[in-house]
Amino acid sequence: MTVTFAAPTLETERLILRPPQASDFDAYAAFFASDRAKFVGGPIPSERSWRTLAQEAGHWVLRGYGRWIVTEKGNDAAIGIIGLWYPEGFPENELGWDLFDGATGKGYATEAGRAARDYAYNTLRWTTLTSMIDPANRASAAVATRLGATYDYDFEHERFGPVQIWRHPGPEELI
Amino acid sequence: MIAETLSTARLTLRKPLAGDVPAYTAYCMSDRAGFVGGPFTEAQAFEKYCAMAGHWALRGYGRYVMVHNGAPIGHVGPLGIDAGQPEMTWTLWDGAAEGKGLATEAATAVWDHLRAQDWPEMIIRILPDNAASIAIARRIGATQTDEAAPAWYEGALTFRLRREVPA
Repeated sequence: MTVTFAAPTLETERLILRPPQASDFDAYAAFFASDRAKFVGGPIPSERSWRTLAQEAGHWVLRGYGRWIVTEKGNDAAIGIIGLWYPEGFPENELGWDLFDGATGKGYATEAGRAARDYAYNTLRWTTLTSMIDPANRASAAVATRLGATYDYDFEHERFGPVQIWRHPGPEELI
Repeated sequence: MIAETLSTARLTLRKPLAGDVPAYTAYCMSDRAGFVGGPFTEAQAFEKYCAMAGHWALRGYGRYVMVHNGAPIGHVGPLGIDAGQPEMTWTLWDGAAEGKGLATEAATAVWDHLRAQDWPEMIIRILPDNAASIAIARRIGATQTDEAAPAWYEGALTFRLRREVPA
């Protein structure tokens, strides 16, 4: 039996969301080695980042959905990783976003997040969606707010510690 | 081109699938995972299995799942963490599968395939107290070297597999 790694590519006004690939590793590892990754499990050494990038790709294989590498149109360099996650140990399906250095402050997380959420509702037919946010990560909470999500409940994640679960508007509220 | 499926006398070797997660998780949560940094939690096991599946997508090769009598019983094959030489790995998930030569059979088939694809050499890392695994390394033709282990696998012995060069 052949296992297909079937991640679709999404397009927004300014961005392309595509499956992770090996050439994304340097940008991905640089972000996860930096202090900016402190809210999402970092900083971590390059060997750990290789394994987590492989995890991102493998989530697509095991779950049939996952997170996309975000690029600006016309430039295939990875500027972030955004999408749909449900690893073991998460309370619910989640929309997660990490923008790498230099990609913040442009509304990209909101733009890519909206496309990923539309895919969850319109293609996967999900009926609800959450985002897990470190209580000290104000930038991420601001993105969640711009996407119309609101704080729902607290959760203790095995690796991330105490986090907040924010809930997105459902598909019927977004029409 | 690395094959996605291989067959041996008693095993089918194929890429990881979602249905393997329960058996792999049971292994990760058991003492058997102590030779590779475990035991691990259920959440860690899922992440590790994602990484095993995603490795294929990133590298174009990866570890195969050994399927015996229809059930996944372990994994075997190349692991390429960085730009260095890929590592040959094998693990039987359940002790009940040990002692039958299945890991040796699987590792031999994978190494034969990789050699046929012109892979010149692989490293193997094994903790010194893992006698069963060291025996397999020797059986498939690996020789021990004095190379140091990487930081993420401290204390491990290093073996090398080399493709035979015709005289």
